[in-house]
Amino acid sequence: MWPRIKRWLAALWRTIRRPSIHYSLGFLTLGGFIAGVLFWGAFNTGLELTNTEAFCTGCHEMRDNVFQELKTTIHYTNRSGVRATCPDCHVPHQWTDKIARKMQASKEVYGKIFGTVDTREKFLDHRLELAQHEWARLKANDSLECRNCHNYTSMDLTRQSTRAAEIHKRWLGSGEKTCIDCHKGIAHHLPDMTGVPQG
Amino acid sequence: MRQKPLIVILALVVLVAAAIGFAVGRKSSPEPRVVSSPPTASPAIASTAEPVHAGDQIDAIRRGAPVNQEIAAPLMARVENADIKRVRAYPMQPPTIPHSIDNYQIDKNSNRCLLCHARANADKFQAPPVSVTHYMDRNDQFLATISPRRYFCNQCHVVQTDAKPLVANNFKDIDSILSEEHDKKAN
Amino acid sequence: MTLSMTRREFIRNTAVAVAANVAGLALPASATNVLLEGDMVQLKWSKAPCRFCGTGCGVNVAVKDGRVVATHGDQLSEVNRGINCVKGYFLSKIMYGADRLTAPMLRKKNGVYAKDGTFTEVSWDEAFDVMAQQFKRVLKEKGPEAVGMFGSGQWTVWEGYAANKLLKGGFRSNTLDPNARHCMASAVMGFMRTFGMDEPMGCYDDIEATDAFVLWGSNMAEMHPILWTRVTDRRLSNPNVKVAVLSTFEHRSFELADIPIVFTPQTDLVILNYIANHIIKTNRVNKDFVDKHTTFKRGVTDIGYGLRPDNPLEENAKNSKDPTGSEPIDFAQFAAFVAPYTLEKTVEMTGVDKGWLEQLAELYANPNIKVVSFWTMGFNQHTRGTWANNMVYNIHLLTGKISTPGNSPFSLTGQPSACGTAREVGVFSHRLPADMVVTNPEHRKHAEEIWKIPHGIIQPKPGYHAVQQNRMLRDGKLNAYWVLCNNNVQAGANLMQETYAGYRDPRNFVVVSDAYPTVTAQSADLILPAAMWVEKEGAYGNAERRTQFWHQLVKAPGQARSDLWQLMEFSKRFTTDECWPAEILAANPQFKGKTLFDVLFKNGNVDKFPTTEMEAGYDNDEAAAFGFYVQKGLFEEYATFGRGHGHDLAPFDDYHKAHGLRWPVVDGKETRWRYREGSDPYVKAGTEFQFYGNPDGRAVIWALPYEAPPEIPDKEYDLWLATGRVLEHWHSGSMTMRVPELYRAFPEAVVFMNPDDARSRGLKRGDEVKVISRRGEMRSRVETRGRNKPPQGLVFVPWFDAGQLINKVTLDATDPISKQTDYKKCAVKVVAV
Repeated sequence: MWPRIKRWLAALWRTIRRPSIHYSLGFLTLGGFIAGVLFWGAFNTGLELTNTEAFCTGCHEMRDNVFQELKTTIHYTNRSGVRATCPDCHVPHQWTDKIARKMQASKEVYGKIFGTVDTREKFLDHRLELAQHEWARLKANDSLECRNCHNYTSMDLTRQSTRAAEIHKRWLGSGEKTCIDCHKGIAHHLPDMTGVPQG
Repeated sequence: MRQKPLIVILALVVLVAAAIGFAVGRKSSPEPRVVSSPPTASPAIASTAEPVHAGDQIDAIRRGAPVNQEIAAPLMARVENADIKRVRAYPMQPPTIPHSIDNYQIDKNSNRCLLCHARANADKFQAPPVSVTHYMDRNDQFLATISPRRYFCNQCHVVQTDAKPLVANNFKDIDSILSEEHDKKAN
Repeated sequence: MTLSMTRREFIRNTAVAVAANVAGLALPASATNVLLEGDMVQLKWSKAPCRFCGTGCGVNVAVKDGRVVATHGDQLSEVNRGINCVKGYFLSKIMYGADRLTAPMLRKKNGVYAKDGTFTEVSWDEAFDVMAQQFKRVLKEKGPEAVGMFGSGQWTVWEGYAANKLLKGGFRSNTLDPNARHCMASAVMGFMRTFGMDEPMGCYDDIEATDAFVLWGSNMAEMHPILWTRVTDRRLSNPNVKVAVLSTFEHRSFELADIPIVFTPQTDLVILNYIANHIIKTNRVNKDFVDKHTTFKRGVTDIGYGLRPDNPLEENAKNSKDPTGSEPIDFAQFAAFVAPYTLEKTVEMTGVDKGWLEQLAELYANPNIKVVSFWTMGFNQHTRGTWANNMVYNIHLLTGKISTPGNSPFSLTGQPSACGTAREVGVFSHRLPADMVVTNPEHRKHAEEIWKIPHGIIQPKPGYHAVQQNRMLRDGKLNAYWVLCNNNVQAGANLMQETYAGYRDPRNFVVVSDAYPTVTAQSADLILPAAMWVEKEGAYGNAERRTQFWHQLVKAPGQARSDLWQLMEFSKRFTTDECWPAEILAANPQFKGKTLFDVLFKNGNVDKFPTTEMEAGYDNDEAAAFGFYVQKGLFEEYATFGRGHGHDLAPFDDYHKAHGLRWPVVDGKETRWRYREGSDPYVKAGTEFQFYGNPDGRAVIWALPYEAPPEIPDKEYDLWLATGRVLEHWHSGSMTMRVPELYRAFPEAVVFMNPDDARSRGLKRGDEVKVISRRGEMRSRVETRGRNKPPQGLVFVPWFDAGQLINKVTLDATDPISKQTDYKKCAVKVVAV
């Protein structure tokens, strides 16, 4: 078995190393470019497909737990109808971060296949751990996904309730705190918060 | 169409005024009087053998509709969110919540209210910290933290919407009574 | 300004007044003055139980110048230890709604009573004249069966007792039922069938002693908030304690749930039998307890739904005529009966996750876990409510988890005196005081002896129960009808088809006594203004058998009078000759020519105590009116029914001193756990437990199956409708909707709906909709957020709002055994207006 594979690999290596005899350089470069574009397009389309709410809620783990909870919150329905879908908050918009997050997601696929949180009961058992990942990520990137929509410089504080305006000015304006410090559990229910710093 | 809220508000004001007027009228009238106006036959009612009299609609909470008819449901009232403290009817009354609490999670996992109203956070958020009684257990002993029996804030503290009461309330608080007494004494 | 005001006072007051004017307020002159003059700032504080739910919190009431000015939780009350819920904190305001009824009002045309007349103020004399004339007409033409009364679990003990005497011993009509029929009847029948004796064996002390709480169809967080504070206290300060919450939709009590269970309506019966099966299959039956203290019975099945007899559902039901039948079985037969209720079958029927069901079953099965089961309307308002009650006792009895601290199947009550008045006094169409019934000749005889009336006066046949009363009004068979202290036009199911037409039927004369103009008052012919709460001396009995008294603290407004005064005063207008058969009078000539007042209330018992026995410093308008201490006389006569029979009440005066006492009170000591040796004086030494309500001293374990509800959503009516209450309002809202803070907290009813259900119907939050059933419709607005989160396929509508009568939609199907309506299940559709 093994010697046969070794022979085959050696032949392949030799073919790749040898200049092409049948195709022109132009054909190869152009063809390679077009193939690259096609591949990239397909990859990105595929990636973007996994970046939709329909994809996320295709699994009952998401649909029956976190998506149900989202539905009664302001990030699902609100005055102006601008709403956040799952990837808006949970997938970084920067490409490198996005790819990194997608690679992490392989663990979620593993969890799905092996039924790690396939019942509400199991989900609740894991909820704190899952939430902590998200909080840590948002804390590390200064609540980047929040700020994609909620930009402090664009906030008209006079349009906020008095207490919200005061608190935002004092803590967010000064940069002492970031969104996630106070707004944990804004779109989903919180796990047991014993010992988790808030505010 | 943009006037629609105005018209609704106007209609509500008229209704409330009529209800108050009705109540005041009932109190001041010295003689037995007919509470209802002459019968006005209503073609909408098929299920009763008799006409419904407009003035028979004495339950103000029914908002003027005869029992066997249905009227338009009032618009959903909005929660007042102005952060202005309201007067308490007496010192032991739990203060009403002067802001909206939409989606504030209060359950065994977390208590959103205490984020701002806990003793330790009062300075950060400039919110009134919960009162001293909330640290007492069933036997009046002071605990290190909020007493678990007071954990679910909204059992006593409620928001207030902008709905205008359908019936006035003649409760007099202690200050009004003291001042009446004071005046009586003074005269 | 008065001359005595100093210049400084003047300036200060003026400044305040200016500020007040700027703010658009009128400040009382003293508001900012620090008034410390001794006498003036003194408040008179007295104790009273809360006017609202069955928890029975103690409150302190401050009175100044004849008005209630403040209320707060009574620190000395064991029930609530100083706290109230938001309703309780606003008790001060419930009496001061601007539209209090202050004079009787009669429908009149051309100066005389007319069914189609308009409400006109009349004197009490005229009101009672017309009323007596109508009642006498009906008595003469149709006999006592056509006279009826609908009373209340909010009546004081003596009001219920006086009504019982007036109807059953005076008018000879057993058609007297309380609104507690809508509330507690299934609990009562559950107790009677299992234990032979009404009311819980445990008490609230179980809360602090238990390891697990299971809420079976009870949203305590909103409906019994102060008990919920005790549950919360226990759960949060002891992390090992578990809370399981079962309901057909997610509500506030789920906030504390370790085991949250939302099940398909009616399948609670499946879960109950699954738990029994689980206990048996895992060999955790407490054999010693079961052998010594229980027996087994199998109940008849296919018992119908308490609808009118010509309804196909009744005609096709095998045992709708006698739903109470049973046969004795043994443990093996019981085990075989519940064996089909496997975990798999239960998951399939209930739609609940397997893991939750197993965890729940273990709370009961594990011998090391003490467990309290709480339930209210989820069980009781259920077409198989009596069964559900029996079946929860099954699982406590199989494991012997009963009558010991922390082990307690506990039926919570909705009304402040559903236990104390409706149940203990026997204000039901089939009952007499102290668990006796009119169908038992010995019981009738005993009651007649205590009441000092001739034998044969009390009729042997039960009268019309609450739901039947509405049907008989509509059918013209119940013609003289007095409704007191409740709002049944807002409460009774199927308003348009059954209730309203009967109230407005010209054959019927309907009287309503209430403090406020409710929709029931609005539907009546004569309205009598009632005194309420601390405007009269009263007694309530709460869910843990605690009897609590209060004094009259203020005067009722205008000509408003207590129901007690109304009942007794009205009895003066009837003579025995008008009400009792000639042969009984001939055999007992001493009763001839007497008024009902004379024979019922001046019988040597009720008028035994002079007004000098009243506690100084308190008014008592009834005593003043009748010349004797009415309340004490009625209570002491009533107490003779139960003393020595396991229902012992303490002497009258003790209750004015104590913060409530839990009966049986024997030798001055209250009883916290009944049926257990050492804690219940009625249990004989050496028996350990004795369920002495049953002649053999054993409790019954019932083999009862799952049966489907009468109406299930289909293609057209595609949603379940559950109705209920909200925290801020009490029942029909006639009091709380008149308190501005409570009104503004929750001003109108809404249709709580799952966001997906709303979306699939093209509805948005706030949209106006019609909720339509086969019986009627009402208009409301969609709520997809907030405290209640129904699953897809179910909507929840609260019933406090007179402006939105959801009882036009509800189904008047009842538990055939208890005759209590199922307000939690019927089929509706929701469409945009």
